[in-house]
Amino acid sequence: MINSMLTPWLVVAVPLLGALLGVAVWSQPEKLKAWSVTVTLGSLLAVIVSFLTLTGSTEGLLFVLLLPLAASVSLLGQPVHQDHRLAWVGTLVFLGMGLGILTLPSPIGAIALTLLLGLITFVLYWHHDPFWGPSWVGIGTYGLGTLCAGIAAMTNSAIPSLLACMILLPLIPFHYGYVAALTRLPGSLSPFTVLLLPAIGLHKLAALIPAISEFETLPVIVLALSGALYGAIKALAQSRVRLLLAYGSLSFFSLLWWFVATSRNVSPQSAVFLGSLSLVTAGLLLAWQVIRTRYGDDVDPRAISGLAAQMPQFAVLISLLALAAMGLPPFGVFAGFMGLLFALPMTLSIAPFVVAIAWLAASWYILDLVQGLLFGHKRLELRYEDVRQSEFAALLIVVIIMFALGLAPTNLFEGAPRISGTGAIMEPVSWNR
Amino acid sequence: MESLTPFANIETRRMGLRGVIHLASEVVAQYWPMRTFVHHNPLHNLEYLPFKETVIRGKQFLGGNGYLPSEFYRHYLRSGRIQSRHMETAVAPLARDEYTTIGLHRVSHGEVLCACLAEGLCTPVEEPLDARWEHDPYYQLDVAIANRLEAVLPSPDVDERVRGLVSCAQASLGRLMTLSHWCDQVLGSAIVDRINHELIKWCGGFLDEGHATWAMPEREQGLYLAWKALAAHEWSPCGISDSKRKIASLPNYPEDAVLESLDALGIPEDLRQDYLSLQLTALPGWTGFIKWRSEKCDYEWQQAYPVEAVEYLAIRLWYVRELVQQTCQQELGIAGTYQSVTDYMRQRSKEYFLRRERAASRLPAIYAEEVDRLQHQRAQGWDKLYERYQLDVAPRQLRVARHGAAKQLRSLALALQLDPATLMTTAPDKLACLVEWMKAFPESDHGPVWLKAFESGYQEQLLGALARSPAAQPPLNVEPGLERLHSQTVFCMDVRSEPFRRHLELSGANGTYGFAGFFAAFIRYRAWGKEHDTEQFPVIMRAKNEVREIPRSYHDPVVSKHTARTRMVYAGHTLLHDLKENVVTPYVMAESVGWFYGFPIIGKTFLPTLHGRLTSWLQRLFVPSIATTLTVDKLAPTETAEMLMAEQQTTIRQALQECTSLRSSQITLALVEALRQWALSDKSAPDAALLSVATPSKLSGETLNRFVTTLRQRYAITQRSASRKKERITRTGLTLDEQILTVGTALRMMGLTRQFARLVLFCAHGSTSENNPFESALDCGACGGNEGKPNARLLAMMANNQKVRERLAKTGLVIPSDTHFLAGQVDTTTDEVQLFDLEDAPPAHCADIARLIHDLNEASRRTSLERCSRFPDLTEPLPIPESIAHVHRRSADWSQVRPEWGLSSNASLVIGRRDLTKGVDLGGRVFLQSYDYREDPGGHLLEVLMIGPQVVAQWINMEHYFSTVDNEAYGSGSKIYHNVVGRVGIMSGPWSDLRLGLAQQTVMNGDVPYHEPMRLLSVIEAPREWIEKLIARHEVLRQFYHNEWVHLVVLEPEEGILYQYRPTGEWAKVDSGSGF
Repeated sequence: MINSMLTPWLVVAVPLLGALLGVAVWSQPEKLKAWSVTVTLGSLLAVIVSFLTLTGSTEGLLFVLLLPLAASVSLLGQPVHQDHRLAWVGTLVFLGMGLGILTLPSPIGAIALTLLLGLITFVLYWHHDPFWGPSWVGIGTYGLGTLCAGIAAMTNSAIPSLLACMILLPLIPFHYGYVAALTRLPGSLSPFTVLLLPAIGLHKLAALIPAISEFETLPVIVLALSGALYGAIKALAQSRVRLLLAYGSLSFFSLLWWFVATSRNVSPQSAVFLGSLSLVTAGLLLAWQVIRTRYGDDVDPRAISGLAAQMPQFAVLISLLALAAMGLPPFGVFAGFMGLLFALPMTLSIAPFVVAIAWLAASWYILDLVQGLLFGHKRLELRYEDVRQSEFAALLIVVIIMFALGLAPTNLFEGAPRISGTGAIMEPVSWNR
Repeated sequence: MESLTPFANIETRRMGLRGVIHLASEVVAQYWPMRTFVHHNPLHNLEYLPFKETVIRGKQFLGGNGYLPSEFYRHYLRSGRIQSRHMETAVAPLARDEYTTIGLHRVSHGEVLCACLAEGLCTPVEEPLDARWEHDPYYQLDVAIANRLEAVLPSPDVDERVRGLVSCAQASLGRLMTLSHWCDQVLGSAIVDRINHELIKWCGGFLDEGHATWAMPEREQGLYLAWKALAAHEWSPCGISDSKRKIASLPNYPEDAVLESLDALGIPEDLRQDYLSLQLTALPGWTGFIKWRSEKCDYEWQQAYPVEAVEYLAIRLWYVRELVQQTCQQELGIAGTYQSVTDYMRQRSKEYFLRRERAASRLPAIYAEEVDRLQHQRAQGWDKLYERYQLDVAPRQLRVARHGAAKQLRSLALALQLDPATLMTTAPDKLACLVEWMKAFPESDHGPVWLKAFESGYQEQLLGALARSPAAQPPLNVEPGLERLHSQTVFCMDVRSEPFRRHLELSGANGTYGFAGFFAAFIRYRAWGKEHDTEQFPVIMRAKNEVREIPRSYHDPVVSKHTARTRMVYAGHTLLHDLKENVVTPYVMAESVGWFYGFPIIGKTFLPTLHGRLTSWLQRLFVPSIATTLTVDKLAPTETAEMLMAEQQTTIRQALQECTSLRSSQITLALVEALRQWALSDKSAPDAALLSVATPSKLSGETLNRFVTTLRQRYAITQRSASRKKERITRTGLTLDEQILTVGTALRMMGLTRQFARLVLFCAHGSTSENNPFESALDCGACGGNEGKPNARLLAMMANNQKVRERLAKTGLVIPSDTHFLAGQVDTTTDEVQLFDLEDAPPAHCADIARLIHDLNEASRRTSLERCSRFPDLTEPLPIPESIAHVHRRSADWSQVRPEWGLSSNASLVIGRRDLTKGVDLGGRVFLQSYDYREDPGGHLLEVLMIGPQVVAQWINMEHYFSTVDNEAYGSGSKIYHNVVGRVGIMSGPWSDLRLGLAQQTVMNGDVPYHEPMRLLSVIEAPREWIEKLIARHEVLRQFYHNEWVHLVVLEPEEGILYQYRPTGEWAKVDSGSGF
């Protein structure tokens, strides 16, 4: 018992201590990056060692495993530059807090969530660009999220908790925070938060959803379906890659909201779907980072073409990521989605059409993006250089995880059953693929 | 008179427009249909301009590069193919006598230019605005140098840049850019693509030559009227509203429609020619084909479905005017005219700048998004956005530009083998000077310098070899060896003949000659059983005579069997084709006979050689081959009349069977002849004689009357038609005088006037390949893209004619009585030689023929071995048997994109005696035209060679040159995506312009050139004085040499010295050791 109480603290301590010690090599960016990656790997090791002693919610322990991995690939995919140092250390801090929220009991987890949202609000404000109007709305959304999380921590009230969930696992009209985080957070923080925040959102929702009545879920369903369409249409209209990915993933997260609200349950399949979706979005963000590293932070994607012949390794990896993001087998998004679909009763409604539209739209905008980058004429004025080792490793790891999530049975990620306050054991959802 | 004036004005305007279109279409080269693929210079019509200038015009109108990318030339420099000294010589005219210093080191302007060339220092590189690479070991040094440059490098003002951009765009509009291009460039619309898409559809449908199952209707009216009739039925083409009414209101004359559209677009008169050129070059393939068709008035498809460039332009300009109007109104709220657009650029220059940068993807993404928002919401924040751009992006761009300059300087220091750190001790103004020198020599100026250096290397090597030849040394060996050769073989001058000739000479006492492969026989030829003639002469010439292939008389019993079986095969093919193309039958076909196709697919894929042999064996088994001969002599008038009568009688016999119920036994010769006579006469009623012969067949007078009318109308049995046919028949064959002239000219031109061997072989060339739409490109260019077999047979037959020999002897050309002329053909893909008409050879020559066959086989084997050593896909040398098997496999392999690969790498032409090049391995790169100036006292034959074979060689050379330097613009791209369209050409994928030029696989080996793109080097052995006279006489030669399309070097026979003809018209002695 003592052991299982201490284990979460150990898991949380590794990245936080790592972040603290990283200050010692602050002046040497290369070493700092290497150290940060090492810490995330140490964190992963700590999670694996303590896996059986960690308690899981209904969605299982998949996120606890994925978070260090996501942090690791987010760091690996960044170029060595002194401007990125704060983002690397921030990633470790976010990782520690995220693991804490997922594994530590209330109220410590809830306090950690409030702190995390507050911290993100601050970082967004720090990187605020007055030229880009929506960033204020994003900061405001996370400010609201901080407030809701704080109230929820103090009062255990359902509405603030639900609002916080809507901000973390983006749902319109509270998606601006997520969009701002994806587009404005610096360096490795952006791809990492794609997994971190929605994972925490789903984790919180798992505890909350059984307490919400069927009547109360109706507006959520409406918002979810509207969000799926809205996200797809917005993604189709985007010219900036990070916005495209933000709205594209919003569309799919909205589908997840629809599944959860309809079934009023968060199953391990939901975790697989969310984990895959977040990771593949992070992978595409890292792939885009490869381009930004070479051609500037704010490069117009239409200015880049002909990478297939000039950067073949990159081309293969981004193509695989695109296939995964479009929801094709054998990758995790497909597996998670199918798992969710089969768990739902077949009824005639508008929802399947919305799902189909969101899916088809995704195949359009993702393929369009990747096709534009990879094919077309070689541009003589561009310097082409294929992915470096760390970038290659980051993208490859994402592809492998996507592959593993697509093939591994869901119950593999179920940790030790959490013992509820009443002593009842939550029944794990069986593997039904 | 008053009513006539407007009519005259309209006519004048139409005529004026036609003149403008004629000039505008100069930039478009004719496109020959693929069945007679003709190698030609894609910029042929601009040869009146210097090469350098034409390349610029090509870039302007066709978007093609005129030189290889510099990285290829640098690769050649690194590999030693380009020597540094050649590069230095080529750069010398550009180098100024100026110096500067880097640290303590003195650097000349020339050294900097050479470094720019060799190291690619001037390659335009887009430096990222926010660089995140710090891996470069020189990063810190670059930053420090950039800081030093801060004070000396001018910081460009954005306002100034915008002003420059506007004035440049105003100057380009109409000359370099159409209004539709402008819209695409500024508003991101895709008007040009949309119009091209439409025009490809209409051209593809209209210009189809029997490929389409359902032909386009209304084609008889011409392209414009057909389009007008059909397009009105389309629902909103290209999103043009009210299109039906607009199309219906267009004038009926295409000239009027063009003028109306140009007026609507407000194109000023002085820009119209360039504007129309730009419209024509948007799809240079289709317009090139239209141009070719419009100039071939006797072409049957042109006669049936006439088309002209003015019609194409009328259609295109209508789309342009409608779409430009619509786009400008919707996006900018201005009229889509030249004036409105120029006003917009001047008055709303900031908005124009931002929109243009956005469309070109040069704005940072956040600005691009804002431009999109302003565009979408029609908001008024352009000035604010522009100010922000000035404050935010411009300083970053300046920083980046300085960093780029610092990198360039550091690379320059390294190229000059200096320590880059010395740049920190160099005064900033000296650094600025170096930057300025490099900036003034942009990579776009490197092409001509590289090309010169590239050509020098090859020229030095070839001229050195020629200079070392003993035959080049004076005095000339006037009396050749006394020993009589076993054989003399005349090959085509084609570069592919060179290795074969070399090996044949090594195989025995065989002499070889080179001559244009049509062997001076300008004939139109129809093979036995074929329905169409082929034109067996260079496309720049005209046919004089017609020759037909006919079965030899002793084959009469087999001929009917051959004909019947051929018809059966044809009927089978037609049936299969119809079933495949029908709307319903393919569904059944696939299941029922689809599996049958599996056998040829497996055979062609896995056992191509065996499959080829098996199918040809089956063909021979089913359709027995017959020996044939040619109609060499002209027919006498009586023979002509007999032939015509026989033809008409056959037609009438068929007509009687088709139109009446008579059985063939009831159709008597007397009846047929009586009907023929009546049809040819003016009589309206049958005479008594006819009625009497018609009595047994029970045909009434009325029936006979009707039938004769049918004969006249449907079967063209009329006096007029008979005269036409008679005239055509009289063109068949050659008169004795024509034969004497042809044989005499050919033999004198090639210098074969003495010491004839017992056997003289005229060896044409052809090719065998599978699944190759451009198979005619492998055949003989001098024979109009056909096999040269008919020409060789014809010349041999004429030369064997005793009457011809007797008359030739009187002119001093004595052919020994024991000399027999043979015809043959070498297959350039398999290297096999086939001999024809051996039955005509005297029995006394059997041993000679056997020896020749042996030597030819040996030469064939060695040629295969040599060719295999050149195929880059064969990494290891093959022994001879494997080489032979390999070339056969290549020719039968339907997946092989390079069945031959022999014409690529052509580089020069030698007009002179074979002795000059004998024994020299020219690597299959030289066109060899035999010529002995001593046999041509007045230089008349040389004149023919310089304006005939040399032009053909230059066309082949330029086709290869431009297809290599820019395969996308001047070539036809990858073969993998080729699709045949309309039986006239190929498209890339399912929808594209007709692709010009050669395929990528023909000229490139992967990503690197296989063909070395150089201008033709003509080496002529003749007195300079003659050549000067010829240059003065012929415009084409002046264009070649003065405009630097061809390099001319002359071997002065009496001196044995090589002279180069300079573009200025002067002669310069060639130092054979170092080239020019």
